[in-house]
Amino acid sequence: MMRLALASLGLVCALSACEPPPAFATADKRQHTLNGRIEGDVVVASAARGDVVLFLYDAARPPPPEGTGRPLTFTVVPEAVAFANAGEGEVGPHVAPYAFSLVPPGNYLIKGFVDVGHDFVPWYGVTADTNSGDIGGAAVDPVTRAVRVVQVGTTADGTPVPALGVTVSFSDAARVPVDRPVFQERSGAAVATMRSAPLTLTLDAAPIDEKGVFQPLPVFLARLVDADGDGVPDDSNGDGTPDFWPRVVVRKLADDASSPLLDENDLDRNGVLDDQGVDYEHVNPVTGDTIPKDGKPDLVVLAAGFNFASLVPQLVDGTGRPNPNPLPVTRLELQVLPRALDVSNPAQPGVLKALPFGRYAVTVIQSTGQTWRVPNELSPGLGEAVGLPSLAAQSFVIEVPRP
Amino acid sequence: MRRLATRAPRALAAVVLLVGLSLARPALADPRVEARRHFKTGMGLIAEGRYDDGIGELLEAYSIKPHPNVLFNVAKAHEAAGRPKDALDYYRRYLDANPPDAVTVRATIERLEAALPKPEPTPEPVPDKPVVVTPQVDEATMARLAALTERLERAVERAEAREEASPAPSAEKAPAPAEAPTDFDVPYEETVVAASRRSQSTLEAPNSITVISGEELRASGLFSLPEILRRVPGAEVMAMGLTNHNVSIRGFNQRISNKVLVLIDGRPEYQDFLGLTLWPSIPIALEEIERVEVIRGPGSAMYGSNAMLGVVNIITRAPGAGATAEASGLVGNANLGGASVVASGGEKLKYRASAGYLQGDKYSRDYASGRPDVRSTLGDENLGVRSARASVTAFYAFNKDFSVAASGGVNRLFTELYAIGLLRNYWLDGVTGFAKADFTGGPVKLRFFWNHATLDAGPQYEPIGQRSLVTSLDTNVFDAEGLFQKEFRLLGTHQFALGVSSRIKRVDWGYIGKLVQEVHFAAFVQDEWRIVRPLTLVASYRLDRHPLLDNGNPGYAHSPRVSLVYRPFEGHAFRGAFATAFRQPTFLESYMDIRTPVPGVNGASVLTEGNRTLKPERLVSFELGYRGEAARVGLSWDVAAYWNIVSDLIVLSAVSPVPAANALDPTSGSYLLGRSTFVNDPQTYTARGVELGLTWNVLSGLDLRASGALQQVVPNTSVAVCGPCTQAPAFKMNAGFVYRTPVKLDLSADVSLVTGTTWVEREPSAQDPTQIINLENPLAAYTVINARLGYRFLGDRVSVAVVGSQLGPSHQEHPFGNLVSRRVFAQLTVTP
Repeated sequence: MMRLALASLGLVCALSACEPPPAFATADKRQHTLNGRIEGDVVVASAARGDVVLFLYDAARPPPPEGTGRPLTFTVVPEAVAFANAGEGEVGPHVAPYAFSLVPPGNYLIKGFVDVGHDFVPWYGVTADTNSGDIGGAAVDPVTRAVRVVQVGTTADGTPVPALGVTVSFSDAARVPVDRPVFQERSGAAVATMRSAPLTLTLDAAPIDEKGVFQPLPVFLARLVDADGDGVPDDSNGDGTPDFWPRVVVRKLADDASSPLLDENDLDRNGVLDDQGVDYEHVNPVTGDTIPKDGKPDLVVLAAGFNFASLVPQLVDGTGRPNPNPLPVTRLELQVLPRALDVSNPAQPGVLKALPFGRYAVTVIQSTGQTWRVPNELSPGLGEAVGLPSLAAQSFVIEVPRP
Repeated sequence: MRRLATRAPRALAAVVLLVGLSLARPALADPRVEARRHFKTGMGLIAEGRYDDGIGELLEAYSIKPHPNVLFNVAKAHEAAGRPKDALDYYRRYLDANPPDAVTVRATIERLEAALPKPEPTPEPVPDKPVVVTPQVDEATMARLAALTERLERAVERAEAREEASPAPSAEKAPAPAEAPTDFDVPYEETVVAASRRSQSTLEAPNSITVISGEELRASGLFSLPEILRRVPGAEVMAMGLTNHNVSIRGFNQRISNKVLVLIDGRPEYQDFLGLTLWPSIPIALEEIERVEVIRGPGSAMYGSNAMLGVVNIITRAPGAGATAEASGLVGNANLGGASVVASGGEKLKYRASAGYLQGDKYSRDYASGRPDVRSTLGDENLGVRSARASVTAFYAFNKDFSVAASGGVNRLFTELYAIGLLRNYWLDGVTGFAKADFTGGPVKLRFFWNHATLDAGPQYEPIGQRSLVTSLDTNVFDAEGLFQKEFRLLGTHQFALGVSSRIKRVDWGYIGKLVQEVHFAAFVQDEWRIVRPLTLVASYRLDRHPLLDNGNPGYAHSPRVSLVYRPFEGHAFRGAFATAFRQPTFLESYMDIRTPVPGVNGASVLTEGNRTLKPERLVSFELGYRGEAARVGLSWDVAAYWNIVSDLIVLSAVSPVPAANALDPTSGSYLLGRSTFVNDPQTYTARGVELGLTWNVLSGLDLRASGALQQVVPNTSVAVCGPCTQAPAFKMNAGFVYRTPVKLDLSADVSLVTGTTWVEREPSAQDPTQIINLENPLAAYTVINARLGYRFLGDRVSVAVVGSQLGPSHQEHPFGNLVSRRVFAQLTVTP
C-alpha cells in the first residue's frame, strides 16, 4: 500500500511539469476578437497650442469634404504631452506618441486637428468639429503630402499586423480659416412641408456664442469646383449644373420621437447603415417600372442643391475660370426636389417610387470639411440637460406629410 | 452466577473495545459525531439495564473525544449496577474537571464512601457477597485481558491529558464561568460561538448554522477554504479563478461578493476598501483551523454591517493544542505547489506559529500571449496565486478568569481578482497583515485588532496603447471592542451580553482619489432567556453609527433580531427567527473616482464616481428551522426555510451624459463619454428557499454528508430584466463521504451541482463601443467534483495523499470567470 501511495506521489510530481493555462475567451465580447493597432507620432509645426485630436476613418468612407464618413474611433494626445517642454510661441516641430488600440485589419485614414479653442466635444454634433483657428493635420505620404492609407494587415494565418511608426503631421498651413457653416432657415419656421412641388428654403449663417458652442463668425465658403484644373467648372454627375461648394444633404430621420436626431437605418449611430431597417420600393428612372424591395435598408435622401446662380459672377475670374479662393457668403438658397433617392450605394443611387413620409435633416458641408446639420442638439428639450444652449431655429426639419 | 454474568460481558466489551482501539483508533471521520453515537448508544443500554455494555460504549466515546460528562454517566452506571467503588473512582475523576454541580457530586461521593464497608483486617469472605468464580478462560487469556485493560486505562488518561492541555485560544473561545454549565449539559453536542458570541450548542443557536470541523477540512485535502464551503446548504461559491472566490449565502452572489462577513477568531477579514474577502490573504494554514462556523442568514444583530446574508467564522486551534509540530507539502499540475509548517506548544505561555507558501497557475488566461492588440501587465501571466505567509498566536492565563491572547500575521501575496462593471481580471500584489490582542477579565472581554494591506493592483490585460489602470492601495483598519457577558436568573435563566466597539478605517487608494478616513461606532445587546427548560427566547439589537448613512451625514443602522428556540426533546430543536441586517457602502461605493477607458476608443473614458448619500443595503428575514438527530445511528439533519426581503441593493447606475463643459477630463486627458455612479436599486426583492443538510456516521470511520438548497428570487414589481433573480441558481446540491479505513487508507469525495443561471453584466456595445449596455449572459449548470485518496503510515505520523479538485467537466462559474479545470496534486503530511 505504501508503495502505491509513493507511486501516486511520483505520478503527480511528474504531472507537475505541465502546460501553461489555456487562453480561454469568456463571455466578455472583447476577448472574442483579434485586432491590430496603429501607433506613431504626432508632429506639430505650429505655435498654436491645444489637445491634439486624432480620428480614424475607414478609407472607403472618408470624412467631409471627400465623403460623409464618420470616425470609427478617436484618440487624444493631451496638450501637456504633445507640447511637453515647448516654449511659448515655439513652432517646433513638437513630437509626441499616439496610438489607436484594438483596430481590426483594414485600410484607414487618419485625420485630426489641434483643438486650439479647447471647445471640441466629440459627443454632440454641434461641438464635434473644427473651428476657426484650429490646426488641421493628417497622416500623409511623406513625398506627395497626400493623405495616405494606413493598413492594418494580416499574416498568412490571419493574425493582424499592427501599423507602427505612422506619423500624423500638423502645420499652420492647415489652419482652419473659418467657423463652421452654422445656419438657420430664414423664415424661422420649425417645419417646412415638402409635397409634390419643389421646396425653396433660405439658409442664413447664424452665429452662436454661448454655453460651450462658440461659432461667432459662421460663413458659407462658396466656390465652383475645378478639381482637374482645366479652368472649366466640374460637373461630376452630368446634370448640367456645375459642382458647387458648400454641398447639402437632406437625409431622412428615423421615425422615433424619443430620439429625434437619429438617422433612419442608423440606429446605432455609427454612421453605417444598419443590417436591418426600413426598405422602400424603387422605380426604374428610365422606364418607370417599380423595382420591388430588396430587403436591405435604404439610405434615403431628397434631391437637393443650392441655387448659386446669383453668385456665379463672383465665383469666376475675368476669364470665366473658377476662382480658387472661396467666396464667404452668409446666405444661400436651397432647393429641394420632390424626389427621393436611396444612396446606400453612392456610386449607383436608386430612385424611390414615392417620397417616404417623415422628417428630414439638412446638412451643409463646407469645402474645409466642416459641417453643420439641422436639427441638432441645440433643439429645445434636447441639449439643456448637458449644458448646451437651446435654440428653436436649430430644430428645423423638412417634413413629408403622410399621404 | 450474577457476578459471572456481569463480568463476562464487561470482559468481552473490553476486548472488543481494545481490539478496536489497537486496530485503528485514529481512523475516525468525524470524532465528535462518532463519540456522540457511542455515547447515545451507551446511555440507551444503561437505560435498559445493560450497564456493562453501556459503560463500554461510554468509554469508547470517551476514548474518541474525552468529555467530563461521560465520566459522570459512567459513575452513575456503576452506581446503578451496584459497584460503588467503581462509581466513586469515576465521580472523583469527574470532580477533577471542576463541574458546576461539584457540590452535589461531592455529597454523592460522601454518601457512597459512607456506605462502603470498612476494610476488614483479615480477608475473610463476606457471606452475602457473590462467590468468586473462576472465569472460563485460561491464565494466559486473563493476562492478556489485564494487559488490554491497562492499555485502555492509559488511553483514557492520555485522552484526559489532551483535554486538559487545550486552553481557549481567544477571548471568544474561552468559556466564561457563566458558560461552563453548557459544556456539561450534553456531551458531544456541536458547539458554536458565532451565533451568540459565546460557546453554545448548535441546537441553542438562534440562527441556521453549519459547522465544518477541522478534521473534515483536512480530510478533503483541498487547499482553498471557499471550496469547502460548497458543502454548506444555501452557500454559493463562485470560483472566478484559482483563488478568487465569491461566496454568498441564499442568493445575491456577484463579482466582488460583499454580503457575507468572514471572521477569523472574531476578527473580520472583510476588506472595507472593496467590500470583499480576499481569501488567499488569510495568513493561517488550514491545519490551524479547529472548525468553521457558517451562519446562514443575517448576522448584523451581533456583527453589524456586512453580515447581511451570513457569517463565516473561522475558529483556529488553541495555542498549545494539537500536534507539537506538523509539516505538509503539496505539488501538483499547473505548477501548483506549497508547503506549510505549524508548531504549537508552551506551558503557561502557550503559542502556535505557522508559516507557509503556496503558488499555482491560473485556470485559464483571458488572452493568449504575444497578441498584437492586448498586452499582459504581468511578468508571469500564468500565475494565479503566490502567497508566503506567517502567523503567530500566544495565550497566557493568569488564572481561571484572567487571560491575555495576542496574535499577528503577514502575507506576501499575489492573487487574482475579478472586479466590477467594465473592469475584468485584476491582479493584486503586495502585503497584507494583522495584529490582534484579546483580554479576558471575568465577564469582560476586550479586543483590539489592526488589519493592514499595501497592494499594487491593475488589470491583467490592457489594450496596447490604452491608458493604464494600474493603481496602488494602502489601507488600515483599527478596531477596539468591549464585551460584557453575564448569566443571571430572573423568571428563568438569562445569558446577557452587552458590547460596544469603535473602528477607524483609513484608505489611501488611487481609485478613490485621496486618503479617506471613516470612524464607526457600534453597540449591541443580547439576552438569551430560557423561560422554561425547552424554550429559549433570544432578543438582540445592534446600533451602528456610520459617517455617511444619513444622506451623507453620520447616521445609524438598527439591527434587531428575535428568535425562539424550542427543544422538546434532547437532540431536537425547532427555531423561528426574525432578523434584519444591512451592508454599509464600501469605500469604493462611497468614494470611487476612476476613468475607465472605453475599449478601442482611446480618447474616451467612462467616469465612475462614488456616492456618499447611499443608503445601506437592507435585509429583513423570517426563518423557520429544525435541527435534529438520531444519535444512536449517527444521523443528524438540519432543515431551514427562509423568506428574505432585500432592498436598497447598491448597484452601478446606467451611464448618463456629462455636461458638455466638463466633457474634457484633464485627469485622464480624455473625453468623458458619460458618468456612472453607485445608486440604491429602487427594486425590492424577495428571496425564499428551503435548505436541508444531512450527516450520517454510517459506521466507524465512514461519514456520509449531503445538502441541498432550493431558492427563488423575485422582484416585488415587474421588471424586464432582473439580475439578482436570474443570477441565483434555483437548486444547489452537495454530497460526499469520508472514509478512514482500518487499513490506514483514507478516502473522501464530494460532488456539487449548481443549476444554470443568467448573469446581467455591463459591456460596451459590440457595434458601438461608446455605448455601454447591459447584456444577459447565460451560464450553464456545472458540477464540481473533489476527491482524496490518502495513506497513513509510521504510526499515522506520516500521510501521503493524492487529491483531485475540480475533477468534473471544465466549466465556468461566472460568464467572465476562468475556465475552471482539473487540479491534481500530491500531499505529504508529517507530524513528528
